[in-house]
Amino acid sequence: MHPQLQLLVALQDMEEMIREVEEKGDELEGMGFKHGGLEDLRKAREDVASQVDPRHMSWYRRLTGKFGHAVVPVVNNLCTGCFNNIPSSFVSKTNVNKVQKCESCGRILYWP
Amino acid sequence: MNIGEVLNHTSPALFLPDLQATDKQGILTELVEGLISGTDIHNADTIMAMLQSRENLGSTAVGPGIAFPHGRTLAVQKLTILMARSAAGVDFDSEDGDPTHLFFVLIAPPQDRDHRYIKSLAALIDRAQDADLRTKLMEAEDYDAFCAAMREE
Ligand SMILES: [Zn+2]
Repeated sequence: MHPQLQLLVALQDMEEMIREVEEKGDELEGMGFKHGGLEDLRKAREDVASQVDPRHMSWYRRLTGKFGHAVVPVVNNLCTGCFNNIPSSFVSKTNVNKVQKCESCGRILYWP
Repeated sequence: MNIGEVLNHTSPALFLPDLQATDKQGILTELVEGLISGTDIHNADTIMAMLQSRENLGSTAVGPGIAFPHGRTLAVQKLTILMARSAAGVDFDSEDGDPTHLFFVLIAPPQDRDHRYIKSLAALIDRAQDADLRTKLMEAEDYDAFCAAMREE
């Protein structure tokens, strides 16, 4: 996987975790979980974000604002954001060397 | 959600009855390796990073002798549950300081919008309060016996 894509995936997973604590923290704490490391997680998120190329970052932010999630998995050659077909040639030739976008919705593509 | 529904998200390939690691990091590695070999999930690094972040947020060893590592990641496409056991027990930063012997790992995709995995977590934690059950789980000979004990109420 492209190192920038790896960072974007890690960033989105971290933001999901932070959002979960914000939205579901009380319920999770009721089960016994503690979230004392939340501030550290926010700092770690900033640290990952600072390693992302600014061009990718502004794009990631714009997509997150628009769709909720900027990075989406490709499943059965479909972008799971908009369900448009992703040509298989996309994967083999270019995925390794660059961060790939869906041609119809612009979301960042990830092959799980 | 009942335990039967929760167990639909696991399989014999996701059962590790004899973990070998002796510290938290080693256990997390073994758990992630188990997820990769037991499914068509590929991206170990992504899952490891997520579980590590979750442990840094606060230890998931919240049950008596039981941990529930969990979270959402792009690396999986459906709720996946791995069950594991360490006879010796390991220091998993539990609040009471006791060693952790049983592990229920729940990994969900980001688009799990109805929070199915949180409901599964709640059901597992509730079930794990039963001390007799924990003894049975430690003694269960195989996956089927382990699941049968889980299903008993
Ligand atoms: Zn798309």
